[in-house]
Amino acid sequence: MTLLFLPAGLLIIIVFGIPIVRYTWLSFHASSVLTKLEVLPNNGANWIRILGDDRFWQDAYQTVRFASISVTIEICLAILIALLLDQKINNRGLVRALSLLPWALPTTIMALGWRWIFNTPYGPIEKIFATLGLGPLNILSNPDTAWLATIIADVWKTTPFIALILLAGLQTIPNELYEAFRLEGGGKLHAFQQITLPMLKPYLIISILFRTAQAFGVFDLIQVMTGGGPASSTESLGLYAYLNALRFLDFGYSATIILLTFIILIIFTLLVWLLASKANSIRKAITS
Amino acid sequence: MKKNNFFVLILLFWSLAPFFWQVYTSFSTTESITNPFSYVQNRWTLDNYIQVLTANPPFWRYLLNSTIVGLSSTGLTLLIATPAAYAISKSSFHVERILRLLLLAVSLFPYVLLFLSLLEIARVLGIGNNLLALSIPYSALSMPLAVLLLSSAFKDLPKDLEEAARIEGLNLWQRLRWILMPLSSPAIASTGIIIFLFSWNEYPIALTWISEVELITLPVAIARIAGSSLYSVPYGAYASATVLGSIPLIFIVLFFQRQIISGLTQGAIKG
Repeated sequence: MTLLFLPAGLLIIIVFGIPIVRYTWLSFHASSVLTKLEVLPNNGANWIRILGDDRFWQDAYQTVRFASISVTIEICLAILIALLLDQKINNRGLVRALSLLPWALPTTIMALGWRWIFNTPYGPIEKIFATLGLGPLNILSNPDTAWLATIIADVWKTTPFIALILLAGLQTIPNELYEAFRLEGGGKLHAFQQITLPMLKPYLIISILFRTAQAFGVFDLIQVMTGGGPASSTESLGLYAYLNALRFLDFGYSATIILLTFIILIIFTLLVWLLASKANSIRKAITS
Repeated sequence: MKKNNFFVLILLFWSLAPFFWQVYTSFSTTESITNPFSYVQNRWTLDNYIQVLTANPPFWRYLLNSTIVGLSSTGLTLLIATPAAYAISKSSFHVERILRLLLLAVSLFPYVLLFLSLLEIARVLGIGNNLLALSIPYSALSMPLAVLLLSSAFKDLPKDLEEAARIEGLNLWQRLRWILMPLSSPAIASTGIIIFLFSWNEYPIALTWISEVELITLPVAIARIAGSSLYSVPYGAYASATVLGSIPLIFIVLFFQRQIISGLTQGAIKG
């Protein structure tokens, strides 16, 4: 039996386990153009550098902001879409397949598509504002709006995936539960609060955790849509680590960035998990 | 009912409009691209497609590369995940629970953070610039989900069936091949399609492992096109590239939507 699991287990350990060990080791070494890519110990210089690296902390702030806002919007929209798709609608299969399309397309393809939609001055949004006599908005070249545009693209892409998971959750709720609630005189909104949300909770928690972790590692979308700009205002930690390794050729520092990102991610995910699983009691405490 | 239809229309508009805008742009002349909402004499053209398909290397090359990577990763993953899933489905309650939780935790990990170490592994082993080698990290990355999905499918099968086969003298491989796998073929199909979609769409690892332009996969090719001229105007060629790159996936989603949806939702439920 163990033998059957061995190849899969080994592969997982090699691809997920070795990197963590290697990054830890590398983060205490210098390996860059300056050392001619030789790996030399540097007494924690990477860690001292990262604590004072404004760009890292700016990216950390941006990554947390991106992940929390986009996941919040995605979950709310996904609940609405799941409720809609759970109703009797015409051609449900086709509607489900078509709404899944944004999720199935490669991120780079639609990141390029969204860059074109937000383009100044030729994109449709700028054109519409221009015909209204407004603009130019310069959405992607303004640090105050570019990050919002990346959130819109992310919401567009990943909401269908969450909606489908929640839809599966909705379909596990027996209809009798709603019947009984209605017979006792409960309204629709109440039924949603008392039956739907509690029954969906496990599905909500797993989607929130999964999406938070994935949004934290956002890379393709940012690299293609904004390149991290303007003025690195949309740069994520993943992109910063990538730039350090493949553009600045500083592998030691890149490993340090990845490791600290990983630590921040664990803390952040634990916080989100606590919040999500305690959401009910918090709501009760506020309303009572 | 009427109200629902209205909301469905909004949903479809939201999901499809960005894509239709690409289609529209891909058939537009440069003149009409810069004036999308006003009258232009020569509005439509096929030049963008001709340009992309006759480029060096031609665009279909990237589609082929991605298909090779997608198929080989799917095959390799299923080959390794099936026995592992069988082992899990046969192990004791506690062991199964722990392994499942571990696999779930691993599958949450944002794998983009692995790129640096994987790049080093590729360099040490000298397997960069090799499409088939790319299926090794892809299998590893899809392994947790694949094992979770398949093991719960095996668990759902009636126990007596395998027992009877064992008494008949079928060995483990024969039981897997003739009893377990055919009976759980729906789960294997949805797992396979999800792995294929993942491998087809994967970007950071393909970007760092493959540098030869003849071998790059579709997502990397698109990003390369995007990066080559960040500020230039003619989006027509880009748009036709994104449309061509989307067509295979549109067919996959339309044909296999049932399997995709069941794979995704089972992953969330059984995990």
